Amino acid sequence: MSAAIQFNNVSLNYGTKTDTVEVLKSISFSIDSEEVVSIVGPSGSGKTSIIMLASGLETASKGSVKINNQEIVGLKENELSEVRRKNIGIVFQSFYLIPNLTAVENVLLSLEANQQYNLEKDAEELLGEFGLSHRLHHLPSELSGGEQQRVAIARALINKPKIILADEPTGNLDSANSEIMIDLLFDYTKKSQTSLVMVTHDNSIAKRCDRIIEIRDGQIV
Amino acid sequence: MFDIQQFKLINKYALRDFTRSYKKLWVVTSTLFVSLLLLSLTFSVKEALNSEIENNSKKLLGGDIQVTSGIDPLPEKIIDEFDDLGKVSTAIEFATMLSKEGESPVFTELRAVDDNYPLYGNIETIPQIASERIFVNSQKPSVLINESIQKLLKLSFGDDVVIMGQQFEVAGLVSSVPDLAESAVFGEFAIISMESYEQFGLNSGGSFLDHQYRIKFKNSTQVEAKEKLVRSIVEYDDSIEIRLPGESGQSLSRIIDNFSNFLNLVSVSAMVIAGVGISNTLLSFVNQSNTSIAVKKSIGFSSSFIQTMYFYEIMMILVLTSVVAYFIGVFSPLLANELLPEALGIDLQPTFSFIGYLNIFFIGLLVVLIFSIPSLYSISEIKAAALFRNTFNPVSLNFSLMNIILLSILVVILTTYFVYQTEQKLYTVLYFVAFFVTMLIFYGVSKLLILFIKAFYKFSNNSYRIAYRNIVAKKSLAPIMTISLGIGLTLLLTLSFVANNLKKEISDSIPSMAPDLFFVSIDRDMQRDLESFIKDVDPNVELEFSPMASASFISLNGTPIEEVVSESNRSAWVVRGDRRISWSEKPKPDNPIIEGEWWEPGIEDELFISMDSRAAYDLGMKINDKIVLNILGRDVTGIVKNFREVDYRDISINFAIIINKAFANKLPYEYVGTLKSELPSSEILARIVEKFPNVSAIKIDRILSQVSEVLNKVFIAVTAISLIVIIIGLIVIVSAVLVQTTFRRYNNLIYKILGVDFPTILKAMTMEFAVIYGTLIFFALSVATISSFLVVENALQLSWQFDLGLTLWILLSTAVVSFVLILMANRSIFSPKVYPLIRNE
Ligand SMILES: Nc1ncnc2c1ncn2[C@@H]1O[C@H](COP(=O)(O)OP(=O)(O)OP(=O)(O)O)[C@@H](O)[C@H]1O
Ligand SMILES: [Mg+2]
Repeated sequence: MSAAIQFNNVSLNYGTKTDTVEVLKSISFSIDSEEVVSIVGPSGSGKTSIIMLASGLETASKGSVKINNQEIVGLKENELSEVRRKNIGIVFQSFYLIPNLTAVENVLLSLEANQQYNLEKDAEELLGEFGLSHRLHHLPSELSGGEQQRVAIARALINKPKIILADEPTGNLDSANSEIMIDLLFDYTKKSQTSLVMVTHDNSIAKRCDRIIEIRDGQIV
Repeated sequence: MFDIQQFKLINKYALRDFTRSYKKLWVVTSTLFVSLLLLSLTFSVKEALNSEIENNSKKLLGGDIQVTSGIDPLPEKIIDEFDDLGKVSTAIEFATMLSKEGESPVFTELRAVDDNYPLYGNIETIPQIASERIFVNSQKPSVLINESIQKLLKLSFGDDVVIMGQQFEVAGLVSSVPDLAESAVFGEFAIISMESYEQFGLNSGGSFLDHQYRIKFKNSTQVEAKEKLVRSIVEYDDSIEIRLPGESGQSLSRIIDNFSNFLNLVSVSAMVIAGVGISNTLLSFVNQSNTSIAVKKSIGFSSSFIQTMYFYEIMMILVLTSVVAYFIGVFSPLLANELLPEALGIDLQPTFSFIGYLNIFFIGLLVVLIFSIPSLYSISEIKAAALFRNTFNPVSLNFSLMNIILLSILVVILTTYFVYQTEQKLYTVLYFVAFFVTMLIFYGVSKLLILFIKAFYKFSNNSYRIAYRNIVAKKSLAPIMTISLGIGLTLLLTLSFVANNLKKEISDSIPSMAPDLFFVSIDRDMQRDLESFIKDVDPNVELEFSPMASASFISLNGTPIEEVVSESNRSAWVVRGDRRISWSEKPKPDNPIIEGEWWEPGIEDELFISMDSRAAYDLGMKINDKIVLNILGRDVTGIVKNFREVDYRDISINFAIIINKAFANKLPYEYVGTLKSELPSSEILARIVEKFPNVSAIKIDRILSQVSEVLNKVFIAVTAISLIVIIIGLIVIVSAVLVQTTFRRYNNLIYKILGVDFPTILKAMTMEFAVIYGTLIFFALSVATISSFLVVENALQLSWQFDLGLTLWILLSTAVVSFVLILMANRSIFSPKVYPLIRNE
């Protein structure tokens, strides 16, 4: 099995005027393709930071980050966009659907970013699988939180990315909705042989993963 | 690297975004539309006027060719030669008095025409048949008068009027003649038949008489050869002038060009202020859409893709608004027809041209590019990582080195494009420089204001504190208000100052010293009788007569004058065509000599010349230069002896060229004169004309009222135009207010919760406005004063005056309108429903 994500002695520092904050302290780990991993740890330990580094939305201060064996530290903005487009789907805690686009249009956005056009059928089908066939053409403001998050997940999955990064995807949901969400994510990753990295505070969810990475003070324990 | 799929996607996204969030872009749409419309209006009217002049050049000239021989008619023999070429129409134009019993006589431009007139086009008269009546031979001849004479003399059809002692019956009103007569438009104008002219010996013999011959060639082949032939026929006399159709509208075209050039500059100013609004709106649009932009980035869209998408959207708005503005603008000539004097006989036609549209689109494109680049490039500063932290920092205008270079290039292109299109390149460049400097000044002012207030912050009063916070806040109204209202106000003030100075100059400074009557071409034999008659009527009269003859400029130091002086030279009028000259043995007291010396009296066989110093400077003359003048068909060489300072503004008799009396004694001449009296000038004039029917005299107050009438119209037009600029400025400000109401609402809400009452908040807003507007007044007034001073003193050569009343009026009305608009845009702040809104913050 080849590695989907590889961190090698990765550090992340934030410089403020007075001092620098060492958020991640030379961490190394690797996540295989098709592996489902959860990241846990106390608040402020650096979980989100890891997701940001893996998605290329933040740049490591030191060390190397590889996505599908491609080094992404030092890439230009456009190149990072391409890596993201081709390999990664992201699910945020606050859904972040685009407010003036309907559910289907939000999902199509991912396909179109990858130059795949006229695939409305696929998007509708996926949303149908997520139990949203009756909400296809609704704006986000007309959807419940759980529905919004399902659309967000569909948007992340529609491209069949090799990696899904999710930062507390159930953080804004009640337990029933969380359950549905996690089932969807797990089913889908298993079916399409995708690796999943998920930050969570929920122990029961963490336990369902292949592996748990625990972070404390910017270090893996 | 053009990717059609990518383009389709951009097109799709832009369309979708536009249809769903056009409300956010209404400011871009409306300001762009109004300023493009203004531009389109001015371009269309100019285009239509020019093409009207071009298409009707033969009508405007009245023939295929015009020959003017001045005071003396052409010999029969030559007219016979013209007859072989085609139809000839002879006309005589001269100035005379037209009077009615019991009314003061009016100075009239009289045109005597033969029955071939007009060769092209029609005389429009009321009633229709009146134009034929003047040719009907009857005991009493008839005359066509224009509306102005009718009003001045309160005439109706069939009334009798007297011209040079001969009774005429008013046959009707001329509303327009095909060949443009200035006096038909702005003054008093009448037409009689050539037959009555000859039959009653109306010839006054004065030098203001002009014989004109117009020819309509038999067929339109070999026109150039025929023109050449005509030239060769009249070659024997230098003073005979020939005009071709293309030349007829030239002076009119020049006026139109200058005026429309001015309008275009104002329109571009409007566009630039609109640009400030566009920039502001786009930036807040980007900030409002920051999560959407971040999400797109997280999905893998690049910044450049998103920028291109928004840019494409703006382009769609530009195309849409420019097309609509162009199509409305195209019909503006129909409106102009209503506003132009009917006597001009101009009927403008709307014309569509793709080039005309492109012209407007291109200017709009440049302005939109200049103002959207810094806003749209801020997109690259939005970080998708913020989606993980749920916090977004507002981005600001992107002035990277690359952008600054790009913007400079675009500004240069815009300026060059305008300069290239106009005749007055220097003024256009100066205007652009002044405009951009003013913009920078106001930008600096807003920054300084904030710094200044921060430095002196020690307020104890709550209102002051709130006002202070609002001004120094990140989304302060100060910069946008100072720039857009500042420029609008500066423009309005400058233009009103200039127009007002012009009006003042005409209406109060002149009449106090000006004479009441101006006599034109008094026969030398009659002058003595006239003088003693007037002195009988009013013993205290101030009378001044000067001898006068005609001469034309041939060469300067051996070089033909046309090669020395270009058409655009300020003093070209001195050497163009027939010039009236006078003579004197002594220097005139009100014409001080500033260079050279006066001549020895009594030298008969040498010609000495005294020149107006300004003309001499413009024409590059020096003392002792040799000038050849054509006096009565004879070329005479004279020596420039001195330069006089001449002030034409006092309307006393002034000549650009004065020669020595001893030499001039040999010449035939006539007199011009001025009269100033305590008695009513109309009464004196009536008595003079009764006794001396051949005397022509202009009432100065009539000319002044004509000029100020025209100036009044210009003043109104100028004010209206600069008001449009202010309106665009206000739209921009209101949009800025609306953009920040959420932010303001939140602040004001907090104040309310903290127990600050409504009057305090209102007071704070008033304070804030007063501080910004006060600063703005100071700088707008300063810039307007300096620029109007420069224009008035240098370009118009008048003395600049300040008008406090006008200034206060403009400042106050602008302040009230802006403040009321700002309050209205902010009204949601005052509504009691404000509390529930806090949940949405
Ligand atoms: N821009 C920044 N400048 C300085 N410090 C930062 C910045 N961004 C994050 N941090 C710090 O980095 C640390 C790790 O943040 P991170 O968001 O990764 O934590 P987390 O594990 O996701 O916490 P939570 O469970 O609360 O989401 C925190 O202590 C935070 O204060
Ligand atoms: Mg986190």
